[in-house]
Amino acid sequence: MTEAKKEKFIVPIGPQHPALKEPGNFEFTVDGEIVTDAAVRLGFVHRGIEKACENRNYTQDLYLLERVCGICSHVHATAFVLGVEKLAGVQAPPRAEAIRVLAAELERIHSHLLWFGVAAHEAGFDTLFMYTWRDREVVMDILETLSGSRVHYSVNILGGVKIDVDQKLSDLIKKDMDFLEERTEYYMKVVTTDDTFLGRTRGIGTLSKDRAKLLGAVGPTARASGVKRDIRVNAPYSGYKEFPVKMVIDQTGDLEARFVVRLKELYESYRLIREILEKIQPGEITTRIKRKIPEGEVISRVEAPRGELFYYIKSNGTEMPDRVKVRTPSLCNWGTITDVAVGHKLADMPMLLAGIDPCFSCNDRMVEIRSDSQPSQMMNWDGLRKYGIEYYR
Amino acid sequence: MAIGVLFGDLVKALFTKPATQNYPFTKTIAPERLRGKLVYDPEKCVGCMLCMKDCPSNAIELLTVDKINKKFVMRYHPDRCVFCAQCVQLCRFNCLNMSNSLWEMASTTKEAFEVYYGREEDIAFLLERAAQPGINEPPCE
Repeated sequence: MTEAKKEKFIVPIGPQHPALKEPGNFEFTVDGEIVTDAAVRLGFVHRGIEKACENRNYTQDLYLLERVCGICSHVHATAFVLGVEKLAGVQAPPRAEAIRVLAAELERIHSHLLWFGVAAHEAGFDTLFMYTWRDREVVMDILETLSGSRVHYSVNILGGVKIDVDQKLSDLIKKDMDFLEERTEYYMKVVTTDDTFLGRTRGIGTLSKDRAKLLGAVGPTARASGVKRDIRVNAPYSGYKEFPVKMVIDQTGDLEARFVVRLKELYESYRLIREILEKIQPGEITTRIKRKIPEGEVISRVEAPRGELFYYIKSNGTEMPDRVKVRTPSLCNWGTITDVAVGHKLADMPMLLAGIDPCFSCNDRMVEIRSDSQPSQMMNWDGLRKYGIEYYR
Repeated sequence: MAIGVLFGDLVKALFTKPATQNYPFTKTIAPERLRGKLVYDPEKCVGCMLCMKDCPSNAIELLTVDKINKKFVMRYHPDRCVFCAQCVQLCRFNCLNMSNSLWEMASTTKEAFEVYYGREEDIAFLLERAAQPGINEPPCE
């Protein structure tokens, strides 16, 4: 009996569809129903996008990087475009920057509503899931009417934007924002008062401010724990200089706080969209940019719906970039899962996973860790061939 | 604290129209700006090849029939196209446009995904040349 107690019982979840419809492997060590240890294994959807960027030109990369994520496609393009514009020494016209912010905020609404539905679904609250996704169609339709595509809006081009807003569109968006605001207020009432839902969220997965800071949490996950981390406020980029946003902070740090923070961010987005549509100045929407980008390297940070998105771009003076490095917010938030899971019931895990709004295919990048004591694990084809022959000798 | 906060919405839903659509039978009108199938106008094209060069998915092939008289044929692959409209943005002569009427793309054959745009005689000339054996084929080694 004592021997058996020492053995660990590990529950593997995934890689096929753990909570969300994307692949990732989680191993929860359990003692009865309580999780005592958690491990995450990622990399099932590594697509080699960073490498693919190196043999395409900057314009083609823009569309490739837009496809890093199907939910936050616009912010990826914005991060890349801002970086390239900085390298080229070009400034997009103010109207273009405002339109970029407009698209980014519309995208945030759609992303948060999508997450809200998914999280409700994980809690077994499918009615809420259906209703939020029905309302999400409203913002998807706006994006389609505005840009011409529902998912990959392709609003950005190097040196500006493709699309413009006119009075008719602006009226339509404002009308839809009113409807969405009304719905969001209703959902806020649901998540803060419904007893059955609160049973799944209140006091669960509490992440303290210090732990959130230590683990490097970003986005709404960090803000729900009281960490003041929002690139739109900390380091305003593009049109956020002209149209500032208020940071939404909650001190509780549990799952309920993450719902509240995201829903409050929706209000902020509605307000900002209305403000942009009111105050947008007429003018040009594109500037000329050279095909060859001058040599140099640049870091570009933007606030994606899930948190800070980081781009590093190195140019070698040709039409193609030398290196593009992408670090998505989901990657930063994984650490909080393994930390917070300990001490919770196994049944809370889907909600905890959904709570950080993970995007698996976004964050799968290859990282090589080099240490002085160990030789490099990188091999070229000849080396690999030799290794294979030696191994079976 | 309450139970069944969403109940009111459920009752309301009984008296509203379904949010879904009976798709193949009822179709929504595509928005004006929808980026559907690409349309090419050969009359204005000068053959700068920028559309082909910057296409992120190699969906456009601009074939030269006669460079001096500006005769070009576009072989467009809608199955490869990502509908980003970069080519439309690049074209200085407005030869390219994205149609909002052609957006349903399903076919049982591959031929539907190889669209030729151009003057009829140019297309016929190109197809005839391609059909001749031994001209476009690489030499046997």
